[in-house]
Amino acid sequence: MGQGASTVTACSGNPSRVQEDEDDDEREGHRKEQDEEEEEVEDGNDWTLYAPDECVASVFRKLPTADRNRCALVCKRWHRVEGQGRQRLSLHAVAELGLALPGLLDRFPHITKLALKCDRRTVSIDDETLCSVGRACRQLQKVKLKACKGLSDRGLEEFAELVSGTLRKFSCGSCQFGPRGINAVLYHCSNLEDLTVKRLRGFVMPNPSTAEHVLPGSCSIKRLCVKDLPSAQLLGPLIAGSKSLHTLILSRVPGNWDLLLEIITEHTTSPVEFHMEKVGVTDRGLKAVARWSNLQVLYLVKPTECTNQGLSAVASGCPLLRKLHVDVMKSSRVGDEGLLMVARKCRHLQELVIIGVSATSASLSLVASECSRLERLAICTSDTFGDPELSCIADKCLALKKLCIKGCPISDRGMEALVSGCPSLVKMKVKKCRNVTPASVACLNSNRVSLVVTLDAPSTTSNAAHNGVPPGPVNVIVNPGNNVRPSHSRTPLARARLAINLVACHVLRWSASNGS
Amino acid sequence: MHFQGSPNMAEKRVKLISSDNDEFEVDEAVAFESETLRNMIQDTGTNVPISIPNVSSDILAKVLEYCSYHAETMETHDDKPPITDAQIREWDADFVDVHPATLYSLILAANYLNIKNLLDLICQAVANNIRGKTAVEIRKILHIQDDFTYEEEMEIRRETKWAFD
Repeated sequence: MGQGASTVTACSGNPSRVQEDEDDDEREGHRKEQDEEEEEVEDGNDWTLYAPDECVASVFRKLPTADRNRCALVCKRWHRVEGQGRQRLSLHAVAELGLALPGLLDRFPHITKLALKCDRRTVSIDDETLCSVGRACRQLQKVKLKACKGLSDRGLEEFAELVSGTLRKFSCGSCQFGPRGINAVLYHCSNLEDLTVKRLRGFVMPNPSTAEHVLPGSCSIKRLCVKDLPSAQLLGPLIAGSKSLHTLILSRVPGNWDLLLEIITEHTTSPVEFHMEKVGVTDRGLKAVARWSNLQVLYLVKPTECTNQGLSAVASGCPLLRKLHVDVMKSSRVGDEGLLMVARKCRHLQELVIIGVSATSASLSLVASECSRLERLAICTSDTFGDPELSCIADKCLALKKLCIKGCPISDRGMEALVSGCPSLVKMKVKKCRNVTPASVACLNSNRVSLVVTLDAPSTTSNAAHNGVPPGPVNVIVNPGNNVRPSHSRTPLARARLAINLVACHVLRWSASNGS
Repeated sequence: MHFQGSPNMAEKRVKLISSDNDEFEVDEAVAFESETLRNMIQDTGTNVPISIPNVSSDILAKVLEYCSYHAETMETHDDKPPITDAQIREWDADFVDVHPATLYSLILAANYLNIKNLLDLICQAVANNIRGKTAVEIRKILHIQDDFTYEEEMEIRRETKWAFD
């Protein structure tokens, strides 16, 4: 290692004049430390001895935790540098952690992001341990608590006071907290911007009318995520009162939200992103959402009841939409009428995902011509999306880069349109479309060099599995030989379909007998 | 104060002297990739050769190769297509594909000369070298002396057990 040696000689010379004084002191300090350590090493090739701590630390920053943990075992200096440079820490929050904690917090004095995770069956850390964390870590900005059943509202209150100056992001899931603990966090931590609450036992209450509501407190929340939370409507005042709310995520929260959404949208108009999954809303709630004229991203996944009216209202109220996901039951009446309004109003649309929406060329042709920036389009389980619709997309979507079609009655004929259509297309996925054969995909792939088409065709998959290739979507370019025996290998899938049909028949019969 | 050259002069040149007294001459724009050199040039001007006492000539040459390329990527030429990010990444990958010993010397030089992107690039390369290896393997590769007692090592292992991977 000639390089190492020459660098050492250079180091022992005069430090550069022009370097700032502060830097000189630092370098001098390192040199002393190096001299001390150098005596212990017989083989002088250890380059890290001549590198300042900050260099070693920047190497550690490039490594994932498991590697960092191993690096800490290399030598005392690495142990020290790694510990001081660590900002994120994720700990098993079981009760016994309390004993090891002082040593751990000593080793990692600059933690800003901490996760304490337990599991359902194990006894977790208690309030006192959480507070000792709050007292020791003075720079905590992001905290995540998961399945820490030993923590109570009181513990969280005290912890919130301890980290009030620094906390920006707080997430808790599967804990015992209720509105009281969450209120304490919101009240004390004035820098809090991001809050996630999932599956909190403290929100299970027999009588919601007497329950404590969650209030905005002293902070201005920018992102709020609420998932699987009983009595989630207790968060209504917080949502309505968060004037700088940017992103709101509601997922699997019980109750009907129509009325609450009306109140919320009357009070706060800031949201730019709204995800709603399996939430009790009807067109009335969607009309309320339409008041959020700044909305750029909307995920409307499995609402209780949504018709063309609701979708039209949202489209005309939110003209800035860039991303729109509409995932509804096939039985719901969402189709061309709603999409026509989307086409007319949402000119900035870049991503459109429609699941269970009955779309025909009547609306899609307008979407294609009006939304000229549309880059990503996915159409799933739409019985009305056939070859004419695909041809229409191919003709008119000039900016389209990615296209996904799943469970739609398209065939090889429709695929042909793409040989010359959608000039910007780079990626296409076709799934569960039984009339599309690998042959047409191969034809497409060979005609368009920059386009990658994948197909989960039954013949390709089972054939690949048979040859020892992992199953899954197969790029037909790579495996041109896979379409040799389609009829033979399609049998298992046909059998599976038959089974599904039988189940469906049972369900139908069962529901019919229940209804009568 | 040394102010040199007229506005007509196309490009100022800077002289650099390595630890083994070799002289290098580069465009000012190339030297400006280094925050340390930029400060020095702003203090003393370009007519005084700048000595870099802790970087040897072969390493300095390598560093200047990096700086020249990256200074060039900043420039726009009417006749040539701009250099794409993918091309830069490829060039960078080739650049760090050297003997580990050279990497370690480069890390020190990049740190002293304060060239953030280069330091970043090399730290990533060094990190890739030790990724997935055990402490024993790392010590062997880097010739690091194990200075822990058995008890100390056990204590750290016990502590680490609490941390999720």
